[in-house]
Amino acid sequence: MVQTIITYPTPPSVNYSTDVRVFDEKMQNLVDDMKDTINANSLDGLTAFQIGSMYNIVIIKKDDGNFLELINPRLVFTEGKVTTTETTAYFPGLSAKVTRHEKISVVYEDKELKQHSLRAEGDFSILLQRKIDYTFGSSFINKLDPDEKKRFSVKLEFGSDIAISEYCPTSFNRDKILKVINILMLAMVLLFVYSLFEDNQENLSQLWDFQLYTSFGVLGLNIIYFFYAQYEGKKYTSCTSCQIGNIIGTTIISLVKLSFIMLVSFFFI
Amino acid sequence: MARLVVLGGGVSGHTAATFAAKWLGSAHEVVVVTPNSKWNWIPSNIWVGVGQMSKEDVTFDLAPVYAKAGINYKQAKAVSINPEGSESLEKPFVTIEYTLEGREGESENVEYDYLINATGPKLNFAATPGLGDANGLGEHTVSVCTADHAVHAASELDKCIEKMKAGERQKFLIGTGHGMCTCQGAAFEYIFNIEHEVKKAGVRDMADIKWISNESFLGDFGIGGLHMKSMGFAVSSKIFAESLFTERNVDWMVGAHVSKVEKGSVDYELLDGSTGTESFDFSMLIPPFAGVGLKAFNKAGDDMTSDLFAPNGFLKVDAKYDAGAYENWKASDWPETYQNPTYENIFACGIAFAPPHPISKPMSSPNGTPITPTPPRTGMPSGIIGKVVAHSVCDKILKGSDAPLHKASMAEMGAACVASAGKGIFSGTAAAMTIYPVVPDFDKYPGTGRDTEYTFGEIGLAGHWIKHILHHLFIYKAKLSPGWTLIPE
Repeated sequence: MVQTIITYPTPPSVNYSTDVRVFDEKMQNLVDDMKDTINANSLDGLTAFQIGSMYNIVIIKKDDGNFLELINPRLVFTEGKVTTTETTAYFPGLSAKVTRHEKISVVYEDKELKQHSLRAEGDFSILLQRKIDYTFGSSFINKLDPDEKKRFSVKLEFGSDIAISEYCPTSFNRDKILKVINILMLAMVLLFVYSLFEDNQENLSQLWDFQLYTSFGVLGLNIIYFFYAQYEGKKYTSCTSCQIGNIIGTTIISLVKLSFIMLVSFFFI
Repeated sequence: MARLVVLGGGVSGHTAATFAAKWLGSAHEVVVVTPNSKWNWIPSNIWVGVGQMSKEDVTFDLAPVYAKAGINYKQAKAVSINPEGSESLEKPFVTIEYTLEGREGESENVEYDYLINATGPKLNFAATPGLGDANGLGEHTVSVCTADHAVHAASELDKCIEKMKAGERQKFLIGTGHGMCTCQGAAFEYIFNIEHEVKKAGVRDMADIKWISNESFLGDFGIGGLHMKSMGFAVSSKIFAESLFTERNVDWMVGAHVSKVEKGSVDYELLDGSTGTESFDFSMLIPPFAGVGLKAFNKAGDDMTSDLFAPNGFLKVDAKYDAGAYENWKASDWPETYQNPTYENIFACGIAFAPPHPISKPMSSPNGTPITPTPPRTGMPSGIIGKVVAHSVCDKILKGSDAPLHKASMAEMGAACVASAGKGIFSGTAAAMTIYPVVPDFDKYPGTGRDTEYTFGEIGLAGHWIKHILHHLFIYKAKLSPGWTLIPE
């Protein structure tokens, strides 16, 4: 019977990596279901875990149409590293660059629980490694390097590989403008505090002039920030949705701060 | 007055003897027979092995502690047991041979009413050619199984670090030295502590570090692996371990039986039947464990060792030794009372009891070489079992021989483990894990045999602090300092 392949974000099961101890009718039905599911979805292989079963079973569809049944498979020998772009039924329509072993040796059991082994390389090696990871409850997401994991997280958010050529960086050039604005406003606050202890009218007049000119500068920088930030945000198509709101909000907060400083400066200096 | 003799003063034997002495008081006698003059907190040997602790930090003299507890301490090794006595001695007795300075080789028969066998294992270096011989560790590799071994390992590590600083690349090979080893956790801790130390020394780029073990998958740890449940996600210990190895740039090889050790290389056989050779400049390989070689004789003086002990040399207890193949294994195969089925006044605890079978899935190569982790009985379970056995014996002495026995099956027992991955107040890391039960119960918890609600793990700096605090806490407890009974096993 064709079973539903569980896809992200539904976790296939909280139980997994359970070795088959007795291959009974229940296990045979599970293997048959896996084969039917592979045929119905034109897959190259499937683990029991992907259809919600906890048992360590991997079924591979060979080029000749026959199936390779691996019960309780274990990866015991590895050699070399290779990075390829992989897809998997758990993340339909998505791909990621995964680094795996180039050559492997796998020990597994047949339906009589008799032990066998096989050596694999190339695409077959990669397929087996991905499927064995599933039997231990893991998709390829745990194999990605940090940068690829960030990229893949974006793909997961958008549900597509298309038009996602980069991931959202955590720091931008616009942040430097914001830093200058904040430093200038801090200087204005300090000058205001100083003015409270200054009695000389001439000095106070100069202080007010300084506050006024600086406020024009801060206002100008806010305008530059507002437009440059939007320009910069548009360069990263994957992370514009939340940026516009963020930029507007940041600009408004900055202007409110400036207005407050100028207001108290006007009345007290 | 009844006499309880405890063979062995390790974690389990020391726990059993000290609690028995407390519960029995001065009305009865507790005798401890151990060949060592010092108690050793073995988990911290890892830090001795990388030069971060001294031997003195992880050991203390037993004599003053036993004097304080009113325990009759005999620094000697047990040679044989006569559970029926002999023609000349009516009561059962243990024959011991002193190791105490000045009395070396002197023999004595120590009569007992109750006997607890807590000898721990013999480090069977001789099982792998080149790993060692009957006298112990060989010359090609190092060990962290004892504090002295760890001191030696630290000095060898220092030499390697000096060579790397001088521009000479070094290869580190850490793991298990035989297909039937346990204690993968200790090797796991050691490999990451070495990685941490070479990084601290600024020579990480000059070090190739590789793991070799008899586990069929990385993260098996001799318990068939575990589910690490953290922050709402469950991940297998295999994935957790592989991530850690990859992150620290440590290569690995599993399903390996080390068949021979030579200077600078090991020969191995894999589960798929293939063989190979791996080179090294520095290697720490855990040896397999065996019973300490105690003999047993009946009243007539005939050898009855095979009646009392399993073929691996560990004492038979109330386990199901004829459980058969893997598919027949049950939680109920595991002992509950640790009482010998033939002699009701003999018990075993810690590594000294014979387990019914492994916990991990049994596997062997096509050549018939068994490559399966043997079950761990160390750490928290060994302390708990030691206390429970002492409780049973004390009840029998104080309430009568019909008193019911206390139970502590590893199939109904949880365990916590903190595995160090580097020492440092701010740079240290350790993986803290709990599993329940230690031995999977496939009937109670279909599938993995464990309760995933109580099986979880986390890695980080806090784990290191816990490990360091536990080091001081357990040594404080073992010294019988005020409030020691309040500290759990």
